[in-house]
Amino acid sequence: MVADRRAEFEASLIRTAETRGQEAGAALQRASLLRDAVHRFSRNRAAATAAFAFLVLIGFVFITPMVVSASPYDINFENAYLSPSWAHPFGTDEFGRDLFVRTALGGRVSVEIGFAATIAIMFVGIVYGAISGFAGGWLDNALMRFLDALYGLPYLPFAIITLAIFGTPSFWPMVVALTVASWFTTARVMRGQIITLKENDYVRAAHALGARWYRVLFRHLLPNTLGVIIVFVFLELPGVVLGEAFLSFLGLGISPPKASWGTLAQDGYSSYQSHPYIIIVPSLAIAWLILSAFFIADGLRDALDPRTRSY
Amino acid sequence: MALLEVDDLKTYFKTREGEVHAVDGVSFSLERGKTLGIVGESGCGKSVTALSIMGLVPGPGRVVSGSVVFDGRSMLDRKQRELEDIRGRDIGMIFQDPMTSLNPTLTIGTQITETLRRHLKLNRDAARKRATELLEEVHIPNAAGRLDDYPHRYSGGMRQRVMIAIALACNPKLLIADEPTTALDVTVQAGVLDLLRELRAEHDMAMVIITHDMGVVAETADDIVVMYAGQIVEHATTLDLFDTPEHPYTEALLAALPQLEGENVREGRLVSIPGRPPDLLAPPLACRFAPRCQYAGHDDCAGVLPALREIRPGHWVRSAHPASERAAHAVGAR
Repeated sequence: MVADRRAEFEASLIRTAETRGQEAGAALQRASLLRDAVHRFSRNRAAATAAFAFLVLIGFVFITPMVVSASPYDINFENAYLSPSWAHPFGTDEFGRDLFVRTALGGRVSVEIGFAATIAIMFVGIVYGAISGFAGGWLDNALMRFLDALYGLPYLPFAIITLAIFGTPSFWPMVVALTVASWFTTARVMRGQIITLKENDYVRAAHALGARWYRVLFRHLLPNTLGVIIVFVFLELPGVVLGEAFLSFLGLGISPPKASWGTLAQDGYSSYQSHPYIIIVPSLAIAWLILSAFFIADGLRDALDPRTRSY
Repeated sequence: MALLEVDDLKTYFKTREGEVHAVDGVSFSLERGKTLGIVGESGCGKSVTALSIMGLVPGPGRVVSGSVVFDGRSMLDRKQRELEDIRGRDIGMIFQDPMTSLNPTLTIGTQITETLRRHLKLNRDAARKRATELLEEVHIPNAAGRLDDYPHRYSGGMRQRVMIAIALACNPKLLIADEPTTALDVTVQAGVLDLLRELRAEHDMAMVIITHDMGVVAETADDIVVMYAGQIVEHATTLDLFDTPEHPYTEALLAALPQLEGENVREGRLVSIPGRPPDLLAPPLACRFAPRCQYAGHDDCAGVLPALREIRPGHWVRSAHPASERAAHAVGAR
């Protein structure tokens, strides 16, 4: 009896030792860079809250027009200037249109323009910056001096002239104008990144192993800038949305009866003393988007590059 | 015909202040299957020599004159594309810092197979299989399982082993190791050196090992070149160099090694060489070591640049007062 239990115990010890031995040689459980980053991001309370707020806003602008029955375009002067109520949570405008739906719909336009322009800015900036930083020498010099010259041009006239070239301000001209006016910083940052990375030993090693230039650029350099690019998306987005709102507010935006947050704010501007909610709602929406995007960018930077964190 | 012949190589860097003579007339040759050690302090041109051989001199640097003949053909007048084909296939290179030599965004497997697929045109499966073998060859435990890990899961010594595996992937004829152990712990260093020696013999490669650690070359090299301020000051077989160093600089380097036992053990301080190496922006036309040389100043030897001469068969030295000649009139000199 005792001998049996003793044998059993010894056998279990051997089993444990064997499995442990295998585990020791085996690859540890894979914690990818991405999973680490997600973990760090979600532990950052401000960033997680901002991400939630951002998603709520995105959900609001895309889902509301589908589920709310009120039409964003039907004019009904009997309902003009209704204060916020259960039927019209954000009230109605001078034509009696429901502002809840219009804010959502306008937000959709704003957010879509924002994302489209941000992607375009990223593309142009990354290509330009990567070429400049990777080539170095006189080409880098020429490209950067050209960029300096563009920096000298004021943002607003630049965007306005681009819009004027297209004639009617609608979705795509808006995207182009915003891109043209604000891709510089991304290009500069990319160039800096590429130049820093170029000095890394693994880039030298790639050269020493016979890798051609495009392989070095696309396989070794660009993937390593991904963290910076993701952060920059969320830094550019608010700027672009604000730029769109700004241009719309000046009357250069989406033409009625369509709306964006900028045109909604402009509508409200004419009657802000008697009906302040009309301007307050789109302004708050813009602020909501910008603040949440900035906090997300902040959290992402800490999550993707823990070394830069100051605490 | 030696595998690698470097003759009067001069690599200069153009800067705003003038030309930096990083490598100034270096010549040596390396037979197949042999190991050459290049030693010298920081900034003496060791690494630039290696990069010149590979055709990878960075930035404003340029090979000004001289020749590099590898495997019967000049490396200096080949086209960039030809060089790219040679690098990694016929000449492998290992860098100093294993922590930064691997791309953090690619798996170890990808980085090994990259070279195999690039040079040997292997398909994905064959390359993966070969990569596993290579990892086993450099003694990475559970090689197959660790192929898909990212570099941050490898320790410094393991990363250097991976770098060695990558450098050896295509069975190069020549392996250039630029300070392969400098960034590693001493115990890990020994392991990596053993591995290098073992693999060099197995693959029958020639090896150039660049270091500032006399201990490293003592263990691995057949011949040793001592560089100072862009020039070779002494060139001899390893045994000869350690037994009878001729150049005052080599003597000083060896004296600076910490001794654990024997008659030279000193209490307390380590021995150092006084002074600094000369500025390579405007290297003196005179003897470059003279300002730090304890044998200079008693005659006019400091004023002329000594030639590299063969003081006895196979032992070259660039000094007016090599040790074996010094003895004869040492009494008068000191």
